[in-house]
Amino acid sequence: MKNLAQRVVRPARNLLLLPGLLLPLPALAAGITVSDDDEREVHLEQPAERIVSLAPHVTELLFAIGAGDRVVGATQHSDYPEEAADLPRVGGYSRIDLERVIELEPDLVIAWRSGNSTAQIERLRDLGLTVYVSEPRHFDGVASGMRRMAQLAGTRDDGEAAAAAFLDRMEALRAEYAHRPPVRVFYQVWEQPLMTVNDDHLIAQAIEVCGGENVFGHLNRLVPRMDREAVIDADPEAIIGGGMGEDRPDWVEAWEEWPDLVAVQRDNLFFVPPSLLQRHTPRIAEGTEMMCEMLETTRSRRPD
Amino acid sequence: MTRSFLLAAAVLLPASVLAVLAALAWGSVHIPPADLLAVFLGEGSRLHSTLVLDLRLPRALAAFAAGGLLGLAGALMQVLLRNPLADPYVLGLSGGASVGALLAMLAGLSMVSVSAAAFAGALLSTIIVFGLAHGTGSWTPTRLLLTGVVVAAGWGAMISFILAVSPTAELPGMLYWLMGDVSHARNPYPAWGVLVLVVLLALPLGRTLNVLARGPMQAAALGVAVRPVEWGIYIAASLITATAVTQVGAVGFVGLIVPHMLRLVFGNDQRVILPASALAGGILLTLADTLARTMIAPEQLPVGVITAMLGVPVFLFLLYRSR
Repeated sequence: MKNLAQRVVRPARNLLLLPGLLLPLPALAAGITVSDDDEREVHLEQPAERIVSLAPHVTELLFAIGAGDRVVGATQHSDYPEEAADLPRVGGYSRIDLERVIELEPDLVIAWRSGNSTAQIERLRDLGLTVYVSEPRHFDGVASGMRRMAQLAGTRDDGEAAAAAFLDRMEALRAEYAHRPPVRVFYQVWEQPLMTVNDDHLIAQAIEVCGGENVFGHLNRLVPRMDREAVIDADPEAIIGGGMGEDRPDWVEAWEEWPDLVAVQRDNLFFVPPSLLQRHTPRIAEGTEMMCEMLETTRSRRPD
Repeated sequence: MTRSFLLAAAVLLPASVLAVLAALAWGSVHIPPADLLAVFLGEGSRLHSTLVLDLRLPRALAAFAAGGLLGLAGALMQVLLRNPLADPYVLGLSGGASVGALLAMLAGLSMVSVSAAAFAGALLSTIIVFGLAHGTGSWTPTRLLLTGVVVAAGWGAMISFILAVSPTAELPGMLYWLMGDVSHARNPYPAWGVLVLVVLLALPLGRTLNVLARGPMQAAALGVAVRPVEWGIYIAASLITATAVTQVGAVGFVGLIVPHMLRLVFGNDQRVILPASALAGGILLTLADTLARTMIAPEQLPVGVITAMLGVPVFLFLLYRSR
């Protein structure tokens, strides 16, 4: 009950503190301050003990930086690593169960800018919770996010090591494959409707690391819905399917219906489990490595 | 009747051919007219023949057949219910089909199963509406319409529920299905079979339907077996709607607007309106799908959006002119 009263009072108290925030930083130096992906300062007096994750990739990142034992709640589909599957659930990421979040009494909530509703993130702040917003872009964003979250969770060394290991692995892949002869790739996110990605997407960046060329990279939309005709006309050398879950979807083989496609003639129809490429986590390195090997296979199937 | 019949045929038959030709000529890949002609003469390049004959042709035919079925179903429903707002969608048929299709997608079934589930859903909805409207009391078109509207609302709630609990990755597919999408139609011939069959069956019945449109009392007085004819219309309209939605998803609006447009132009003679609705519905959906493929090519839009964008201004113009 005490908490309820506190929660009602706290927004008002924050207002009173506002002038304090304008003081020079040394006044806050006692605690930890990092800026989140919204460029907003997130301040904790001491490392977070009870963290609620509002996105599957955030849960994964927290475990990767050695803060897994501090996570007390997570959204649905937080399925990696295995320990995460047993965490108390706080709803799906698009509709957070705010009551559950508050019940868990977190001292840090890590939200997801493009997945969670902005109104719900604001509501959590109004209720007096400390919210860090994650929105990683590119591989560097994954690494820097890990570093900043590790500071908040008091696992700075583990976070530093995990971020460095991830960047090293990506760099090694880039050094080995990025300058190989280019392969024209069509990445298929989904079949009904037929969807691909443009060059701003993380997956396209993985393709680039592997020395591939996304045939629809120039389109404006991040995840464009395509006309099959355009794919056939583009005639990619390799088709890589994603989908949902860990099983190869049958629509990857369905391209065999078009035997004139180079990718079909050379049997370059591949599948990478989407959890290895579509989530902003260090496992991207694993997915990228799989993709690089596939593009290498594609190169080896070129007639001389 | 003969004059408006010939007029309708003279306008709609060439327009149908042109609509299909337009669908073959335009796509996200530009094919020059000379190359297009070469494809028809069997001399085109392999890429062009694949695009035109394997991709665009089945899709154009599927769109035409589905549009024709929806137009025909709307015309039949409007006669049956003697209500200008009646169409297969108002009676909950598309709602049932949508729930079936979405549940199949949620279960991760293949596209063929999704179509089968949509068909089953439409038939289930037909049986529910018909059974409940029949009830213990008298069977009147008003009662049927009211039952249909309420059942449709129930399906609507279920659709929202399924969308709310589905994983995010499934949502684009579900939304496209709900907005109508011809891209998964592979085999248009069953739909064509149903379309031709129903038009041939309906033509000799045109005179009976004309009488029925004036009201059941007059029809009975003139010797029409009202009850069996009404049931027959209802079942036929349900079956053809179910066939159409398995092809193109829940494309709304065609069944409502096409018969009205034709009535404004050709008068309310069912012997003209029924076949004309089939042709005009086919033309509308074929052109709409061509635009859906080309407007922001190589990306695609759902066809249902375009049918409304094309149909609303044309309909409002005709209505305004007819005052």
